[in-house]
Amino acid sequence: MIDPPPTVLETRQVTKTYPGDIRAVAGVDLILKRGQMLALAGTSGCGKTTMLKLINRLEETSGGSILYEGEDIAALDPVVLRRSIGWVMQGDGLFPHYTVAANIAIVPRLLGWDQAAIDARVREMLELVRLDFVEFADRYPDALSGGQRQRVGFARALAGKPDLLLMDEPFGALDPITRDGLQQDFMALQAQLGFSALMVTHDMAEALIMADQVAVMRDGLIVQCGTPAQLLKSPADAYVAALLDTPRRQIRRIAELEA
Amino acid sequence: MSENFAERWAELPHLLSGHVLLSLAAICVGMAISVPLGIYAAPRPRLAGSVLNIAGVIQTIPGLALLALMVPLLGGMIGYWPAFLALMLYSILPILRNTIVGLQGVDAGVREAARGLGMTPSQRLWRVELPLSLPVIVAGLRTSVVWVVGAATLATPVGASSLGNYIFAGLQTRNWLSVLFGCVFAAGLAILLDQMIRLLEIAARQRRRGLAGGVAIALGLVVGLSLLPILVPASSPASAPAASHDNSGDVPAGLAGQTISIGAKAFTEQYILAALMQDVLEEAGAVVERRDNLGSTIAYDALRSGEIDVYIDYTGTIWATVMQRPQAAQRDLMLAEMTAWLHTRDGVLTLGRLGFENAYGFAMTRARADELGVVSLADLAGLAGDLTVGGDPEVFVRSEWIGTRDAYGLGAMRTRAMDSTFMYGAVRDGQVDLISAYTTDGRIAAYDLVVLDDPAHILPPYDAVILLSARAAAMPGLAEALAPLVGAIDGDAMRGANRLVDLEHQTPAQAAAWLATRLGDE
Repeated sequence: MIDPPPTVLETRQVTKTYPGDIRAVAGVDLILKRGQMLALAGTSGCGKTTMLKLINRLEETSGGSILYEGEDIAALDPVVLRRSIGWVMQGDGLFPHYTVAANIAIVPRLLGWDQAAIDARVREMLELVRLDFVEFADRYPDALSGGQRQRVGFARALAGKPDLLLMDEPFGALDPITRDGLQQDFMALQAQLGFSALMVTHDMAEALIMADQVAVMRDGLIVQCGTPAQLLKSPADAYVAALLDTPRRQIRRIAELEA
Repeated sequence: MSENFAERWAELPHLLSGHVLLSLAAICVGMAISVPLGIYAAPRPRLAGSVLNIAGVIQTIPGLALLALMVPLLGGMIGYWPAFLALMLYSILPILRNTIVGLQGVDAGVREAARGLGMTPSQRLWRVELPLSLPVIVAGLRTSVVWVVGAATLATPVGASSLGNYIFAGLQTRNWLSVLFGCVFAAGLAILLDQMIRLLEIAARQRRRGLAGGVAIALGLVVGLSLLPILVPASSPASAPAASHDNSGDVPAGLAGQTISIGAKAFTEQYILAALMQDVLEEAGAVVERRDNLGSTIAYDALRSGEIDVYIDYTGTIWATVMQRPQAAQRDLMLAEMTAWLHTRDGVLTLGRLGFENAYGFAMTRARADELGVVSLADLAGLAGDLTVGGDPEVFVRSEWIGTRDAYGLGAMRTRAMDSTFMYGAVRDGQVDLISAYTTDGRIAAYDLVVLDDPAHILPPYDAVILLSARAAAMPGLAEALAPLVGAIDGDAMRGANRLVDLEHQTPAQAAAWLATRLGDE
């Protein structure tokens, strides 16, 4: 490749230590290229969610640096930084006292867009996440199914036209069929809009299917980072191999049953 | 009965507006303090714990005590401000607690989403945290409203007008319709305000502008109408003295247009004498304000600080509670020393004896006294263990009871404190054996009670005297106007007037008019 895509996000030896000398993140290097998806995979408690929160400064780093569009985020106003990064959280985190339309409009409103632009953007986002405007715009979150809520969550995260989307187990709370449909829709959406995404997941199959790069994290460290094909071909250690083994075993078992 | 109803009804605008002004101001200021304090404390668990503890301690102080404590804390000021301050403190806990609990109860995911989307702390507070905790905060506000509107009835003894005036005065004069008036209107006001706040919250939550507007207008109407007597300067009380002034040629004219505040403690005799002084002073052209139902020592503090200008007290009471003298003195010496002492320390003028004495005297039914063979307190020593003495709550901590008990060996006697209005009935019906009666009470004769002798002269004399504040003492014509009362009311006259109210259900004003016809009639 002569012209590799530019780097959107880069972390350099990032650490996070909590009081009592608990090291959640112990020196992590990551690179995310424009328009790509990087999955951060690992078992519970490996530090992947903490890593995500360090990037939009919901938590502050203890060491190392994080560069967003080439700028050190420590030098940016955290409020401005967060408005420029989309955020899809575990669970949906929708405001229960806001309608669907008002939830989607939060970031454009914070960015000071005019009302006509906000209205147009809400319509556009509902269409992109395949929810009917007339039917859903004025509903409150408690009148939505889990899958619909997560679609609104994506629409809300993308409404402010961010270059980067951070996602924490975005499909974790959904039933398998809903999850599969939403994953497909999400990949189409990313291809269409061209944003970059960092997704935290404990589901290795999800990481392999959706991401361009997969970083496997364990005890606050990256044990391997590469394309899904590289990981499948040559897992770096027994931990990575074990994580990959689960989806493989499931596929084999299903194939045997079908035969 | 219907006349009684009409009189109570006529008092309603004034008392209701006093009640509304007092309780709403207390709640509004209480809310202005507790909501911001709760917002500040909610994310700080240790601070939240401390402020809730302090507010909780204030809440456990009985309402009446909290109100009474405000008077000395404000340097003897009586009336609106001490009552307002106590009720305001009282309103804080429910609102503060619910603000803290409500904010802490906002879902952690929603809270994190608000941060993650790039809201500033104040945007998070106003757009997310407060709206989501509103139902809990409003529930606290409603509790507070019900408490404060109820507790505002206790503002009467510190001299603030409220619906409690109905209750306190009704209790003392055995006017149960008056007590009922106070209860019904105070409860009705509490329920009305509570329901209006509830509707406002529903309107806010369901975004029903019409309902919100309707309730806001109704609330404004209720508050506006009840405050009307205060907001619009009353014309009738001002014109009354002017009218009476026209046909009174021979009275000192120095008081014309002067405003004089007359205090009264919370018992029948005080209401009658205050009404009598009011008649006399209005006759002289003064504009009179009444401050009825003051607590016993609050009355003197109020005179000393100039909150009231004149009231009637008793030499023995001043001697024991204001001058703090443990031993009684001879009657004339006591009056002379008291007059000098009050004038030197507080500039208070003792105008002179009215002519009767309202002493504490220990009384039993004639039948019981005969049965026990008792004529004097000294005869009770051997029987004390089997007897119960009733009295007002004050007497058992005063030197009168303590001195009597110690001098006559009555330490084994059981004591039962009750409101003075009930003790005569209690001794008549045998619920207690003995009471600390007031010797001018008409019920001593009516119930055939005998006052036991005090051979050791423990009980001090209680000559009724007119006391004037320093300001009133300097007011030309005031002492002269009241002078005809000095030495003009003997024990029989006072007992007769008390009897008209306590037993024959006349109003204190009617009894005062009757007493006026008997002035100097010895």
